Amino acid sequence: MNIIETTGLVKDYPLGKTTVHAVRGIDLAIAKGDILSIIGPSGSGKTTLLNLIGCIDTPTAGRVKIGDTDVTALDDRRVTDLRLHRIGFIFQTFNLIPVLTALENVEFPMLLMKHHSRAEIRRRAQQLLEDVGLAEYVQHRPAELSGGQRQRVAIARALVTDPDIVLADEPTANLDSVTGASILDAMREMNAKQQTTFIFSTHDANVLKYAKNIVKIKDGLIAREA
Amino acid sequence: MRLIATIAWRNLFRHKGKSLIIGAILFLGALLMTAGNGVISGMDAGLQRNIVEGFCGDALLVSDQQESDNVFLEMMGKPVAPINNYKAIDSALHGMPAVAKWLPMGKNFVLALNEDGGMADGLFALGVDYDRYRAFFGDNLRLVQGAFPQQGGPFVLIPTGWRKQMGEFYGVLYTPEGQPPDTATLSPAIRKRLSEMSLRQSAVYMGMNADNSTTDVRVPVKAVVKYRSLNTIWGNFPIIDIESYRQCLGYFSAAAQTATVKQSNLDLFAASDASLDDLFGATDLVASHGGGRPAAVLGAGSLAGGREMARPAVDLDAGTYNMVLLRLRGSRVLDQAVRSLNRELEARRLGVRAVTWKKATGMIGSMAVLIKGALFVFVSFLFLIAIIIIINTLSMAAIERTPEIGMMRAVGARKGFIRWMFTAETGVLAAVFGGAGIVAGVAAVEVVATLRITSENDMVQLLFGGDTFRPLLTAPDIVLAVLQLALVTLLAVIYPLRVAGNITPLDAVSRD
Ligand SMILES: Nc1ncnc2c1ncn2[C@@H]1O[C@H](COP(=O)(O)OP(=O)(O)OP(=O)(O)O)[C@@H](O)[C@H]1O
Ligand SMILES: [Mg+2]
Repeated sequence: MNIIETTGLVKDYPLGKTTVHAVRGIDLAIAKGDILSIIGPSGSGKTTLLNLIGCIDTPTAGRVKIGDTDVTALDDRRVTDLRLHRIGFIFQTFNLIPVLTALENVEFPMLLMKHHSRAEIRRRAQQLLEDVGLAEYVQHRPAELSGGQRQRVAIARALVTDPDIVLADEPTANLDSVTGASILDAMREMNAKQQTTFIFSTHDANVLKYAKNIVKIKDGLIAREA
Repeated sequence: MRLIATIAWRNLFRHKGKSLIIGAILFLGALLMTAGNGVISGMDAGLQRNIVEGFCGDALLVSDQQESDNVFLEMMGKPVAPINNYKAIDSALHGMPAVAKWLPMGKNFVLALNEDGGMADGLFALGVDYDRYRAFFGDNLRLVQGAFPQQGGPFVLIPTGWRKQMGEFYGVLYTPEGQPPDTATLSPAIRKRLSEMSLRQSAVYMGMNADNSTTDVRVPVKAVVKYRSLNTIWGNFPIIDIESYRQCLGYFSAAAQTATVKQSNLDLFAASDASLDDLFGATDLVASHGGGRPAAVLGAGSLAGGREMARPAVDLDAGTYNMVLLRLRGSRVLDQAVRSLNRELEARRLGVRAVTWKKATGMIGSMAVLIKGALFVFVSFLFLIAIIIIINTLSMAAIERTPEIGMMRAVGARKGFIRWMFTAETGVLAAVFGGAGIVAGVAAVEVVATLRITSENDMVQLLFGGDTFRPLLTAPDIVLAVLQLALVTLLAVIYPLRVAGNITPLDAVSRD
């Protein structure tokens, strides 16, 4: 069963008087429980594709289906709730809430869900921060963390809600190989246990080792599916 | 929601500069609004106290024939209609428990004649029985020079405002009988020209009768007085004994009602009046008005020449008045009390109606409302500027925080969450700083009120609503300030909320 399907996905960005065709018609079917790597040269449209799949950008043409839902037809509130409950996002440029501690940042989406008790939220957030090796840093504000540490907080935040899909744009770009590997191991475990679907964009050959499937894109089109 | 509160609270400290700017504006606005309202409420209360207790009572009865309610201060108005049935009114008032005490009074426009030449100036004269006036108002008049009238007989009490007017414009200086001018209480302009002043120990007033004829009376100056407060306004209202007043206005005097006067006597009186005019050298002036039938002056003989004669014991209340001042009992809202009074009066068919002091004093009565309105406009203007600054600052803050907000949206925060977060931030600022402003305003008003600042200056007294500055804040004033603050916050936050709400997750991602 496919958890994600895109058909004829197109994204144009107006840029001054010209138009940038970032994605030019991508059909993709991703099965539940997949670990998919999207690779391609810089500027080929990886981030754009992830944004479209992750419902934080709307396509110029074509559709995105998450499960049985055609997300392109949803209003803002439904799309937001879908992001909250089903998708975890790890951005290429990692953003945290500056006024919240690492722990509170991880708790943030869970608090928005309003499904869990505060104690449970705290316990889970604490656990995830330990998993990414930040047990010592739970009370630090983002400004007091290194780039890699922030990236790890963002990863913990993406995983905390137990999403069906985790989208990660170059998740290991800022991490040393040991930390990167430990995080990827954790993700693979989650995938095995909970059938969580992972989609990475990456240049990193180490990441590719974890992938079950690889899609290569070039100039906004799928070049080769492996 | 605790999450929103936490984020909002910490953001206030993170963006200290912005918080302080907005906070300072809100503080100032709230402070000005509250303190200003305190001053005006104090003025309102002061005016009310001083006008009610020192000049015209809570309400007054006027004739149904009287068109305008503003019987005291209508400058170009028609004469105040006469009331000829005071006795019936008096007995009716005895049966009205809502009325604590009352004072019948005459009030109309008269001309003060200058005996040196044809010059005359108009003013409002009050006609009263002094003892009753005193009983009604207590010590609302301060003696500047002379003595208050002891027994009956004609008198005029000249207020300082009028003495100044006549001195500075006509070179006529009134002094009480048998006394030299009291230089200490004179205006510098008069003091300088003291030797040129024509000293007068009596005043001559000419009244316009209903039939356009005129009569003049001479009354001895018993005292120069000052109204204890608001002398600026009342300083042009000399107080004349009621019988002289009636003669002046051509009304039925009590004496005439008591003793039936023969027509021949009437003629005599008219003649003596004409000779009085000759005496003043103002014949031309009087003649121009006197084209009608001879003035129906009754009992004027006793006055001609300004001699003071013991009047026969007469029933003053048989004569004409213009109004009956009332003090009311109980704490009912004045308008309501007057309405129910009017129902009662109507049922008794007395031909009079009750008017509140506010309506009877026109502009002055509504001055506090007017100034309150002006302050409201001023503070609203201030708040408008505040709103613009706050909108600007908050919108900038929203744009500045685009990555952070977009990211919140990306991980699942709804627009509503972002809006609440912004509202909470502004709301906390408004509550803390605006609240402090209101508290500071209240404190300032309380402190100033306990200082009991007093002023002898007439204009300042007007602003104080009396001789003491007693700013006052009522609960509705404070509630109004709080509501206004809330409104300002709401208005200021609408546009920034749109800006913040429209930030998309993509805005966060596509930037570094
Ligand atoms: N907001 C935007 N406005 C205009 N052009 C854009 C915008 N976002 C992306 N693009 C363009 O779309 C194309 C695809 O960009 P995208 O970020 O998807 O590339 P990428 O594969 O993620 O590259 P990288 O590996 O460097 O992250 C690029 O040419 C980029 O310049
Ligand atoms: Mg990219």
